[in-house]
Amino acid sequence: MTQDDFDRLQALLSSRAGFRLGRDRIHLAEHRLAPVARREGFDSVEALLATLWVKPVASLGWAVIEALLNSETWFRRDRAVFDTVAREVLPAIGRARPEGRVQVWSAGCSSGQEAYSLAMAGLDAGANIDIVATDLSMRALDKARSGVFSAFEVQRGLSARMMLQWFEPAEDAWAVRPALRNVVRFARHNLLDAPTDDARFDIIVCRNVLIEMEPARRGQVVDYLERRLVDDGVLVLGVEERIDGDSIAFRPVGGRSGLYVKSPSAVSRAA
Amino acid sequence: MDVRTCLIVDDSRIIRKVARRIVEGLGFEVDEAADGIEALSYCVGLMPDVILLDWNMPVMDGLTFIRRLRTQAGGDRPKVLFCTIETAPERIAEALGAGADDYIMKPFDGEILHSKLSEVGAV
Repeated sequence: MTQDDFDRLQALLSSRAGFRLGRDRIHLAEHRLAPVARREGFDSVEALLATLWVKPVASLGWAVIEALLNSETWFRRDRAVFDTVAREVLPAIGRARPEGRVQVWSAGCSSGQEAYSLAMAGLDAGANIDIVATDLSMRALDKARSGVFSAFEVQRGLSARMMLQWFEPAEDAWAVRPALRNVVRFARHNLLDAPTDDARFDIIVCRNVLIEMEPARRGQVVDYLERRLVDDGVLVLGVEERIDGDSIAFRPVGGRSGLYVKSPSAVSRAA
Repeated sequence: MDVRTCLIVDDSRIIRKVARRIVEGLGFEVDEAADGIEALSYCVGLMPDVILLDWNMPVMDGLTFIRRLRTQAGGDRPKVLFCTIETAPERIAEALGAGADDYIMKPFDGEILHSKLSEVGAV
């Protein structure tokens, strides 16, 4: 891949998705775009990109962007943080809400393992849980909606007991049971887009997404998350992520890594 | 320093070798047994911390082995993970009911093994 092509890819990901494609990923980019070129009927990645730069068709552009996102995910990722959400946060919020209703947003859900993990935790806790799971990638969302996972995927992050409880065999793979499907809804959403309605969530799980974004964009994304969170809600980040200077809207929960609540200034601003 | 020991029980030498490489990579001292009888006599001498257990083996199969193991003195100590091509939910439930701590469907890789060993608290 030429340096020029890579520069343009960086610009494409940055402008459309706020995603930072580091220089160290140039070979990964080649590798990831080869199947896209094949699917779209191009002889090579170069040919695909040459067409894209000359005639920027949205669907082709998004196919390229989707392929370059870091979509790796697994069930109950970052177990310590996940367990805190499952065992402490979900039950506590359920107890404080009418009819135990807890609204959760899995922001950047990829192929759905996080959303389904949250569903398992919520149902186990007896919470009346409702999960909206969003991502930029249509391909990942299709997989998430199917609820079908390979034997490899279903064994990473889940005990055999949980697998039996929440999945049923589907040919060579495993399908999520209706009880889980019924509480999760998948939709496409770009975190760079401002909220367009008043829907608010009790828990927003946005893990390993901010770390992939351009530092200059993170503050805006965090502010949009703040607008989507109820005043006494909880924001959950990835175990290596910090809000730090990106925004003053949140403060960390003492003694609970990965968890954030609204800072007093954010709450009074909304009132 | 406590060395964690893992006994790999499988009638296939190749599978034992492949599993050995992965498990040693996770820091375990590994021993092998080709069937349930060999595994039992190993355990009488030294209870391992972890046992990776195949189901279908000649002489004594995995299900019979674990039932015998759990009745032995100290037999409740090892974390036993079935490691088998059996994927039917009834079989998995049967293995868990017989005293297995978890269950790995073959084929597996280092990622899955590490995940499963974490589940049972062995890493």
